[in-house]
Amino acid sequence: MHSRNNIVEIFSTFLQFDADRFRGWTTDAKLRRSMHGCIEQIPQETSDNFWALYWYKLWNSRSNRIAQEHLLAYLQECCYWASAKAANTFANIQYNLSDCFQIAIAKFEKVLKGFDVNSGYRLKSYASASFGSTIRDTLRQRHEVDICSVWGLLRKTSQKRLVESLRELGLSEDTITSHVIVWNCFKTVYVPTQVSSTRQLPRPDEKTLSAISQAYGLQTSSTIESQTVVTVLLMCAASIRKYLYPTVTSDIVPVGGEDSFSYLDNLASNEESLLNQIIATEEEQTKVSQQSEINTVLASAIRQLDAQNRQILHLYYAEGLTQQQIAKQLEVKQYTVSRRLSKTKQTLLRSFAKWSQEKMHISLTSNLLETTSTVMEEWLQSYCS
Amino acid sequence: MFSPCSISSPSSHAQSPKPKAQSPIIMNNISLFTFTSPADLILEIPSNAQNQAWIESQNFSNSASCYQAYMSKLCLLAAQQAKLSPSTSALPSLWELVNGCSITISDGTKFVLVPTEDIDLSELRVLQEWVDIPSFAGDYYLGVQVQPDEGFVRVWGYCTHAQLKNNSNYDAVFRTYSLDSEDITTDLSVLTLAREFCTQEITRSEIPPLANLTLEQAQNLISRLGNPQVITPQLEVPFSIWGALIERLSYRNSLYERRLGLPEQWAVMDWLQNGGSQIAEQFGWGSSNLEVSTAGVRSVEQSQKNLFRQITIAEQQYILSIIPQSEAEGIIWRFELRNAATDGLIPSGFKLKLLGEDLQAFPNNEDIATSSVQQLFVEVMLEPGEGIIWEVEPIPENYDREILRF
Repeated sequence: MHSRNNIVEIFSTFLQFDADRFRGWTTDAKLRRSMHGCIEQIPQETSDNFWALYWYKLWNSRSNRIAQEHLLAYLQECCYWASAKAANTFANIQYNLSDCFQIAIAKFEKVLKGFDVNSGYRLKSYASASFGSTIRDTLRQRHEVDICSVWGLLRKTSQKRLVESLRELGLSEDTITSHVIVWNCFKTVYVPTQVSSTRQLPRPDEKTLSAISQAYGLQTSSTIESQTVVTVLLMCAASIRKYLYPTVTSDIVPVGGEDSFSYLDNLASNEESLLNQIIATEEEQTKVSQQSEINTVLASAIRQLDAQNRQILHLYYAEGLTQQQIAKQLEVKQYTVSRRLSKTKQTLLRSFAKWSQEKMHISLTSNLLETTSTVMEEWLQSYCS
Repeated sequence: MFSPCSISSPSSHAQSPKPKAQSPIIMNNISLFTFTSPADLILEIPSNAQNQAWIESQNFSNSASCYQAYMSKLCLLAAQQAKLSPSTSALPSLWELVNGCSITISDGTKFVLVPTEDIDLSELRVLQEWVDIPSFAGDYYLGVQVQPDEGFVRVWGYCTHAQLKNNSNYDAVFRTYSLDSEDITTDLSVLTLAREFCTQEITRSEIPPLANLTLEQAQNLISRLGNPQVITPQLEVPFSIWGALIERLSYRNSLYERRLGLPEQWAVMDWLQNGGSQIAEQFGWGSSNLEVSTAGVRSVEQSQKNLFRQITIAEQQYILSIIPQSEAEGIIWRFELRNAATDGLIPSGFKLKLLGEDLQAFPNNEDIATSSVQQLFVEVMLEPGEGIIWEVEPIPENYDREILRF
């Protein structure tokens, strides 16, 4: 893949795949016009981070649609690299780069919502780590759903997910409510009868089904046939699976109306306070990212780890092995690897927290710690390799 | 032991090794560990403990309660492994009615463990009981994904009580609070550090008061909801009434016993005659022969026994004994508090107090140490079937009000 260098391109072009290969960048004409317009008004601003912040603040304060599309264009490369890494790590489960890319970019809004603009970190660093965890989590879910029976899957789905999947099917809210009640009765009445067989739960027998319809009757003062219970539950299960494997459409490139950027005419006059804000934030970010001190703090924390923990870090971040592969290589249990890694991460986060409290006099919040922890993934990645 | 639960015979599972997962994908050696990140906290459930948990989860009125007890127990097992000590609350009567459990660590911070089997983890759904019953509510709520098939649990994220009260969706049909996964902190290292560095953050939010139940109301509710055919007793009455009922341990125990068709388990006379009972032991009561511990008390016929339990106040152990003394008019019950060490004293300011089961005081129902004393005691005469609640001040660790039936 060749990277984009031109600021207009960075905010107006989208990745194209040819099967699993990078094919090129396609331009969205509307975004290009919008970007050109902005640059003409503030030609002195040429850093991609400035414009990323600009669009982020617009998106954040007004849920502006075109701002969101600019950010989607901006984060294409970052998503590509996160996908390339995941495709490499999970090569043995047959997910290729473009599959991973689709999965990650579909959750693009989650990145924007999770980002804390006041944290002093760059959107790009946060997004890389966030895309990576989205891919990992979706693959985990697909893997688990694939090995569940229909009935096991129904037990192992949250109510929120069920409602979302049924909405996606286009059912009315009333139908959804009654399906959710059937499903809840199913979960209450039908439980696994063995220590560890929740995945391969068999079809409930007739007695259980009639108990479910009875429970439904008590709850709603209406009746439902056992056969209908089965139909409803099978439909719920099908919609849950479908939700996890959405049909890939070509709408990764957004289509927005022309009217959505009429505000641009007023940019220079009304947006002054916004611009000042951005400049301040950018200065803050530069300050934080240029603090070689933070690197020193973390690097020295890593040096203080024992040899095996350092080795685990190296295998995980530099070699890109899974925790399972690491366990095999070091001949320890998977739990051990998992626990060591989280412990190490905690140690590093603690040295950051101490440093920012004592040296920087930053008052820490849970949000800032969470963002830091995410960005630290990215940092470890580059530090270890 | 009577076991009305319809789950298949536990003995076969106790013997057989844990079944191997059958999926071909698993055999390709892909487990969920493939997808974990350093932010995850994953805890192993030893397989013998898993089988044991299954066997111990059989004494409930219906299979759903059995299963929720099993899930909650697995959570707790894993938490113990994480070196947190659980408070000894009355778990069976709890799991008959609600899912989950709580642990309180030494600084008083309380964690509520919310077990789930969900694969998608798109929300943390918490029963209203854990949020709106004052003595149940915690500071933090940990989402625990239980993986019985692979023998581990994963603590997948957490939130605070304040978040649940302020940012979540309340489901009035099922009485749950649910917080979207986007608002859940999934990085567990943040929890440890936030408790260390962000002490200004408020974890709890205000809870509206529960109803005041009279004894009569409570008894009516227990007989109505004690029918095991009622699968979801929690949805049968308004929450403030339900919450008040199950917050009181003695009511909760009665409800549990009624739903399982068990005989009255808190009968002190039976305990004395049979040398204890399972329930008595579960709540820390043991029995011993009179002559061992109570020199100075008038001797009664033959090998009369007494009941005792250990309680802990400020890391000191004390013994609360119940000693029956036969008199012409009937039995006088002597409640006695001593230091567990032979020459230890009861510090000044301690109070031993008895109440009727309706929480009403009666004349001469308490003894207060105005200086350090050897013992505190209260003597009562009771009608057969009458109930007594004991209290000690300062409040002992893990104290729960219990009604002793005479």
